[in-house]
Amino acid sequence: MNGNNRALHDKSGYVERKGTSIVSNINEKAKAPLDVNVPKKPFAKRFKKKYVSSSYWPSLAAFIGLFIIWELCTMMFNINPITLPAPSSVIQEFVSSFSFYISHAWVTLQEAVLGFLLGMSIAIMMGVLMAHSSVLERTLLPIAVLANVTPIMAIAPLFILWFGFGTLPKVLIAAIITFFPMLVNSIMGFRSIDENHYEYMRSLHASKLEIFMKLRFPNSLPYLFSAAKTCVSLSVMGAVVGEWSGATEGLGNVIMMASNYMQTNRMFAAIFMLAIMGITLTNIVRYIEKKVLYWHVSANDWK
Amino acid sequence: MSYIQLKNVSKTFRQREQTTKALQHIDLHIEKSKFVSLIGPSGCGKSTLLRMIGGLVKGDEGEVTIGGLSPKEAQKQKQFGFVPQSPALFPWRTVLENMNLPFEVNKKSIQASAKREDPMELLSSVGLGDFAHSYAKELSGGMQQRVGIARAFGSGAPILLMDEPFSALDEITREKISYQLLHIWESHQKTVVFVTHNIREAVLLSDKVVIMSARPGKITKIIDIDLPRPRSADIEESAQFHQYMSEIRGYLRDEWQ
Repeated sequence: MNGNNRALHDKSGYVERKGTSIVSNINEKAKAPLDVNVPKKPFAKRFKKKYVSSSYWPSLAAFIGLFIIWELCTMMFNINPITLPAPSSVIQEFVSSFSFYISHAWVTLQEAVLGFLLGMSIAIMMGVLMAHSSVLERTLLPIAVLANVTPIMAIAPLFILWFGFGTLPKVLIAAIITFFPMLVNSIMGFRSIDENHYEYMRSLHASKLEIFMKLRFPNSLPYLFSAAKTCVSLSVMGAVVGEWSGATEGLGNVIMMASNYMQTNRMFAAIFMLAIMGITLTNIVRYIEKKVLYWHVSANDWK
Repeated sequence: MSYIQLKNVSKTFRQREQTTKALQHIDLHIEKSKFVSLIGPSGCGKSTLLRMIGGLVKGDEGEVTIGGLSPKEAQKQKQFGFVPQSPALFPWRTVLENMNLPFEVNKKSIQASAKREDPMELLSSVGLGDFAHSYAKELSGGMQQRVGIARAFGSGAPILLMDEPFSALDEITREKISYQLLHIWESHQKTVVFVTHNIREAVLLSDKVVIMSARPGKITKIIDIDLPRPRSADIEESAQFHQYMSEIRGYLRDEWQ
């Protein structure tokens, strides 16, 4: 709703600034029916506009609906709580051991975020090199592809063997998962500059560094953010996979232990924590994207 | 006294097995502070010629000098204000920030003599004073190209290279902008090399029109346009103007007949 209004104002402002009388007349005509019609619209339409078309209400309603159906099913069909606990008992479990979950979530969050940042930094640095040299690309990309196609589950135990039960192997696994999509997108972003922009920079005798800083890097940002949005939630997965392979703390470890003791509600509580973590991290990246890419179309899609 | 000199310049493009002779034995002298148009059918190498002057493309044979310097050296000294076919405004920069771009790169060689013009003044002279803080996507194609022209005039470069800057615009916008270019040039008197395939534009703007033919690209004829300056819209109605236009059209027609 807000977004729509802003777009409308921007457009009308743009037309007005042109300043000729004919144009502004058209502008007024375009505005008029809007102002008159809005209050006249039937309730259903207004409701739709306010609560359905452009807000988070539909998705929230879907979640609440899902939980209600789930709760009802467990009651009506008398499902064994070891198979499927009711959402209410999961919430109860979560609230009663709140600090337990928070401390484990904190461990997993650190592993995921550190891994994400590490993977992203290495990917961008390698992307810079590979975008500038096709020899380097042909040399290094196969290694990156190899790291990407090997199932991370298969590598994880090896990392535990090498680096122990601490944070490091989890960070590394999260970094490996983040690395490849970030690398591919950064190469693409650094390379896919407009030929005209490049030629213009050359006509000023701009150095390679200047062309990178002023043209290639800003140009790559939409690509980088698009990969980062996916990778940040993948890094949570990487941390959990690492914890499964061997850990003494973290939500992945909580899930493994709870599975051994058939504490299904505890598993669900940890799973929800992970889901919330993924959503939060993705939204943080989206928020930064919106702030940074104010000039790009993709930023306007964001709600 | 010629400022830009091309002596027996040739250029061949090689793509796999195929070779295309883009330019053959080009001799051209361009004087300082003159407006020179290169006109010809597509494929006649006029854009390549422009890029060779600007040091963006290397020639195979012959010599190009700009005030005694090689194109690369002149480029290093920031002597060129380039206006490509599409305006080449960076979408993440405002109009004003785009105007500043020439001063942010290759900083060592900003000529002390080149006094920096007020970008706001230049923008208002092309009618975009109110858009200094807009982003490129908020402007129409014509507005963007006017920013490109203002940027070139404001860059402190003595030579402006324009590669069909109006070709993507509609006829009405095109006519309007060609007058703006005429006026801004008449008040700045820089050396302009202007590539076009529009006869009217060439006659209206130029001191000299270089007619080129295609495959291989060579110069057919150089015509001096002796119309009084400053020029205004009335000049397009004059008999002399039409005479120049039909003369150029004649040479171009010979080419495709």
